[in-house]
Amino acid sequence: MRYIFTRLGFYFLAFLFAVTINFFLPRMMPGDPISSFLGRLAQSGGQITPETIAALEALYGYSTSVPLWQQFIGYLQSIMVGEWGVSTRFFQPVIEVLGRGTQWTLLLVGGYLLISYTLTTFLGIYVAWKRGTWADSLITVGSVVISSIPAVVMALLLYFAFASNLGWFPTGYAYDPALDPAYTWEFVSSVLYHLALPMIAMVLLGMGNVMGMRSNMINQLGEDFIVMGWAKGVRDRKVMFSYGARNAILPMITSFAMSVGAIFGGSLIIEIIFNYPGLGQVMFQAMLARDYPLIQGYLLMMTIMVLSANFIADMLLFALDPRLRTALD
Amino acid sequence: MKFLKSLKAMFLSNPKASVGASMVLIIFVLCFGAPLFTDYEPNARIARPHQAPSADHIVGTTRMGRDVLSQTLYGGRTSIMVGFVAGGFVMLMAMVVGISAGYFGGWVDNILSFFTNMVMVIPSLPLMLVLAAFLDQVSPFVIAVIIGATSWPWGARVIRAQTLSIRNRDFIHAAEVMGERKRRMLFFEVMPNMMSILASCLIGTIIYAIMTEATLGFIGLGDPLSVTWGVMLYNAQQTSAIRIGAWWEILAPSVMLASLAIGLALINFSIDEVSNPKLRAQRIMAKFRREQKVEAKKKAAAIRNAGSEPMEAKA
Repeated sequence: MRYIFTRLGFYFLAFLFAVTINFFLPRMMPGDPISSFLGRLAQSGGQITPETIAALEALYGYSTSVPLWQQFIGYLQSIMVGEWGVSTRFFQPVIEVLGRGTQWTLLLVGGYLLISYTLTTFLGIYVAWKRGTWADSLITVGSVVISSIPAVVMALLLYFAFASNLGWFPTGYAYDPALDPAYTWEFVSSVLYHLALPMIAMVLLGMGNVMGMRSNMINQLGEDFIVMGWAKGVRDRKVMFSYGARNAILPMITSFAMSVGAIFGGSLIIEIIFNYPGLGQVMFQAMLARDYPLIQGYLLMMTIMVLSANFIADMLLFALDPRLRTALD
Repeated sequence: MKFLKSLKAMFLSNPKASVGASMVLIIFVLCFGAPLFTDYEPNARIARPHQAPSADHIVGTTRMGRDVLSQTLYGGRTSIMVGFVAGGFVMLMAMVVGISAGYFGGWVDNILSFFTNMVMVIPSLPLMLVLAAFLDQVSPFVIAVIIGATSWPWGARVIRAQTLSIRNRDFIHAAEVMGERKRRMLFFEVMPNMMSILASCLIGTIIYAIMTEATLGFIGLGDPLSVTWGVMLYNAQQTSAIRIGAWWEILAPSVMLASLAIGLALINFSIDEVSNPKLRAQRIMAKFRREQKVEAKKKAAAIRNAGSEPMEAKA
């Protein structure tokens, strides 16, 4: 129990750290968002009155008259109650815009984690078992080569070949815009169809995990208890899964926790290229319009998701590794 | 001749590393010797827009009528430089933090590890996007610095773990007893023993930095006047090269990016294989098994021959 609370405390501190970055960054940068907004307004021939400036200051929570630490406290309060500001691109509360994108990103990333980790774990176990054979060389070298292709390149090429040129997959949207969201087969299949190509791209990019699983498994297969298993006459399949893989999976969960930030980063570029309406797409729109409240909200949302994934990984390790439990109790 | 022979032997003994190294070498020669391979300036309008590949323009022209080949080669210089500068920066941070945390232990380790973990759980790509957005279209060098500042924790953690395991070996205790100074211990006792980890970490970060530069450039955060692979992809996307079917504009930087990354990854892969004793043992075992098989075949053939000879004699 104490372990869980320590972790939760750490995640809370990390979240505060992200909030602090978010607060101080715009204030440290040359030129503030308000004067850049005013500049754009003046360019388009808009009226600038003291009321406009006051309204903008209220909008951004950014002011020159209030001391910095008071601004910071106010910022923290509004973050905690879910007031993340108003998007200047969509003219809606940031949290609503982000919420719309988050569901699709969670679908994409969640599906990716399920497919990719199942696939790479089993492949890793298999090639470690067959190490030194041609199947091993083929799969390991192949996965290294495929996973080291940059995400931008992989996504662009797949999109160009299969969506734009051959037309096998849709070129945008999360589902057919002619359909209404409902739990019907028609709608669900449309969602899956639109999800397929971005998902394939992500799974291909994640093939590098085969290497991690393989080397964990090889390390485990060198241990004495494996020899003991064989000496006792335990069947191969049981040695492979119950003796070797069970231990080899544990470092994979740690590496999952370490790479989850990169996975969300990868989903960003995939969503942009495949026009998939997730968080990445929202971020791209915000980027193009220099919508600072939305950009900052995006960083906070990402941090929350990564922290939650880390917490889930902690709990999984706790449940799967008896050594961890006994050491802590 | 002798040189060629030894080269061939090296190639055969470690094909993955050799293929990777030659890929990287070819790209380096192409990019840094760009004037030898193309007559055009990367930013000069020299033809009509969106020309398909032809003898004059081997990989066609862009929307702006610029030669794609020369853009790819000259742009590669910047992309590679960003990769190496950022990679070096990340390594420096990771080494300082990782080695001091692992070596000094105690409260130094606690503080540094806490800080490392904190930065690690903040997703680095979104953080970079926020930084770059506030800096507004930044030069390639600033992109390298941003990548460096946000991406060091992973390396720091790996290096710390390795330092911890070296720290408790006998030769370090022996050096301590002999009264060696701290600086000498760090640089002459600890560091040489983790060279392979440092090397593979450095190559890993360079791959990561080159990819990230391409990503940031593609999203439109790079300076639009600079020529890098990321900015080329951004321009291609912005001028809807895909919809028009101008595949050459996308393909040229993509192929270069992918081959550089794959080449570096293959080198990294074989560094791992050489430095990890368990993986190395497995290669030696595979060779041993192959030889055993050949041996067994020879024996079988010998027995068969021996078996058939008397028959012939009888006949």
